[in-house]
Amino acid sequence: MNGTYDVVIIGGGMSGMMAAVALADMGRKVAVVSRGDPVCCLSTGCIDVLAAGNDPLEGIGSLPDNHPYRLVGEDTLKASLEMFRTVMSEERGAYVGDVHANRRILTPLGRHKITCLVPVTMEFADFHSDEYIHVISFNEMKDFYPNYITSRYKNSGCSIFDAGVSTTMSIAERFENRQFLEEFISWLKGLDIPEGRIAIPAVLGMHFAVNVYNEISAELGRKVFEIPTLPPSMPGLRLFDGLKNALLKRGVNLYWGKEIYSVEKSGSQIEAVTLAGAGRSARVQGNAFILATGSFVSGGLHASMDAATETAFDLPVYLPGKRESWFNDDFFAPGHAIEKSGICVDQSFRPVDSRIENLFVCGSILAFSEVMKYGCGHGMAIATGVAAANVCGELA
Amino acid sequence: MNLDFQHCIRCTICVANCPVSRVNPDFPGPKQAGPDAERFRSDDETSIDKWIRLCSQCKRCEVSCPYGVNPAQIILREQVQYGGKHFRPLASRVFANNYWLGAVNSVIAPIVNRLAPMKLTKRILNVFGISTYLPFPRFHIHTLSRSWRWKGHRKSRKKVVFFYGCFLNYNRPDLGRDVRDFLASLGVRVIMPRQVCCGLPALGNGDIETARKFARKNARILAGYIDRGYDVIYTCTSCGLALTQDYPGILEVPHGRKVSENSYNLHEYVLKLMEEHYIEPVFEPFHRRVAYHIPCHLRALGIGYPAAGLFEKIPGLEVVILEDNCCGLSGSYGFKRSNEDTAVRLGITAARAIKDIDPDMLVSDCGACRMQLAHFSGIPAVDPSEILIKSLKEGLKGSRFQGGKN
Repeated sequence: MNGTYDVVIIGGGMSGMMAAVALADMGRKVAVVSRGDPVCCLSTGCIDVLAAGNDPLEGIGSLPDNHPYRLVGEDTLKASLEMFRTVMSEERGAYVGDVHANRRILTPLGRHKITCLVPVTMEFADFHSDEYIHVISFNEMKDFYPNYITSRYKNSGCSIFDAGVSTTMSIAERFENRQFLEEFISWLKGLDIPEGRIAIPAVLGMHFAVNVYNEISAELGRKVFEIPTLPPSMPGLRLFDGLKNALLKRGVNLYWGKEIYSVEKSGSQIEAVTLAGAGRSARVQGNAFILATGSFVSGGLHASMDAATETAFDLPVYLPGKRESWFNDDFFAPGHAIEKSGICVDQSFRPVDSRIENLFVCGSILAFSEVMKYGCGHGMAIATGVAAANVCGELA
Repeated sequence: MNLDFQHCIRCTICVANCPVSRVNPDFPGPKQAGPDAERFRSDDETSIDKWIRLCSQCKRCEVSCPYGVNPAQIILREQVQYGGKHFRPLASRVFANNYWLGAVNSVIAPIVNRLAPMKLTKRILNVFGISTYLPFPRFHIHTLSRSWRWKGHRKSRKKVVFFYGCFLNYNRPDLGRDVRDFLASLGVRVIMPRQVCCGLPALGNGDIETARKFARKNARILAGYIDRGYDVIYTCTSCGLALTQDYPGILEVPHGRKVSENSYNLHEYVLKLMEEHYIEPVFEPFHRRVAYHIPCHLRALGIGYPAAGLFEKIPGLEVVILEDNCCGLSGSYGFKRSNEDTAVRLGITAARAIKDIDPDMLVSDCGACRMQLAHFSGIPAVDPSEILIKSLKEGLKGSRFQGGKN
């Protein structure tokens, strides 16, 4: 289906979707083009802002000058995270947390992960190691081994519920069934668990997770929290679902399952992109474009033996020196050089050295973002997405 | 051999999108049934994956895959491979030929309509593996194929062939005639030539030969019109998917590409006419709150949600788009006893999402979705074109046409 828009966003991940929300709220007509769903099923659903230190906002000052956060600035970062929280709470997926304080969640390996904003179902996941933790698991549940957790905490216990099914998706589906939920709650009540918190793998429903969670907590009168699981991860899917519904509500057009086949340019402007898929190709025209296709794994960047290319507009890609210099004797040392690669942008999020004036870049495709090293994945995506949308929205 | 499966990085987004594996533990999900198992398959070996038939071909995995793997296509090829080498149950054989079934039923419609709800009929059908939890759709003697075949001025600049599909033809001919007249009222010349089933039911039931026979015939007819400047219009999203994806794809039909590139969803076509200023309609208000259940195959078409684009222009119409649930019926899939449990579970979940927003009516482009969801939600279901036609019937009088007069 052809279409003409104020802004066309390429990439339906965290950054692209938040840019779309921001632009739609400014009254712009927006389209999002995506090759498929983002790999939200690999995400914990938590928003990491900056893992180092206690206050992520304070830590931003000590980042290198070329890090994308430095372009965004503290005010926009705060505003963008606030915007994210508002959107998600409207979509039945409220987030809790303070942007000035990092918090911990429990992982399925029994270790902690540092993050900043968490779904309300993980509000109580940051506990003191003296506190008693009771882990609930499900019979033959795939890829979830409560012993990893109980062996790390002396003061803990475990009970197994038979859900009749064993995958995260299917158990989550069951939890949205009234009868199943009641059965589960009455089983929990009959367990006689010592005073403390209750940890359940993140399978407490899909679309109505918050309701399911609230009901369990209220019925037990305990602090309950979810542990994100191996893929498919429900909290990540809920996050994507919430944002996607927010887009649909705002009248954003989604071109899903389509790839860019050709780009029309005139002078320093991109005029339109043609999308290929089954059937007729679609021409999507825009006054401005936002590139949010992600890094290598998401397919925004492509690596060959001697070069890296940008897959949608063939923008110049920054690579940190020669391949030979990327080796490190310490395999687990944080920060591989390749993480620095990506698209370099100026103050207005336009790609440098490209001579295109109506294209803006955001998300993990940005050079120097080093998401793994700094623990800033979703936070950086949200902040740069909204920041790029702010610049772009004034023009389109 | 197609090597697309090698692009799979096992991210499991397809599993997360699979409605069947969520409720039926016997189906391992698109990742294992598709790219994972594909590594162990060979064109020369007889398929032994009995569970492959549990896939309903909703194509949700295909739409969600960010790496271009198309698990549904891999599974479809395997289903066809399996169907060709194994005994196919009676229910599968019947539904593969639902075109002939409809043709017979429409001739004896008054008898069929009376027999279908009877307990004895249901018991007999159950014995043959046909599920009866859902009331069967009513059949009509005055089918579309027995209706007036053209409408609109011969000299109109816009000419279309209406590929109406079996559901409109046999079960909702009234709606088909309304669509025909509606298009004509927009100044479009409409032709409804002889046509057969799109072939999707046969393909979905593992009978590629029958599917190909149907597809060849349709493609020959449609391509003839396309060469004379006609566009193809479809309203059924599954027919549309067959025309655009399967004709040039797995069915390898001559003229398949031509048909694929010239087929339009009805609403997509109306939007196109508006964009080209061929029509400038005035939308009359329609004060309702509706839940718009997006059929899986509309998502798979990759044309966005054109009806939603038109709904935006109707004053007073409040639309909530629901696209996360499969209705579970998936054409003839849910009508098989073996899939009944899956279909019912999914139907209940999808209906709950609809009831949750408390709409006046529910809207869906797919006849099967409407049957299933109206049944489980108790909320009346309509096709988007019914709302559109209602809103535009009055609005068209005042608008000026650049096209031929009718």
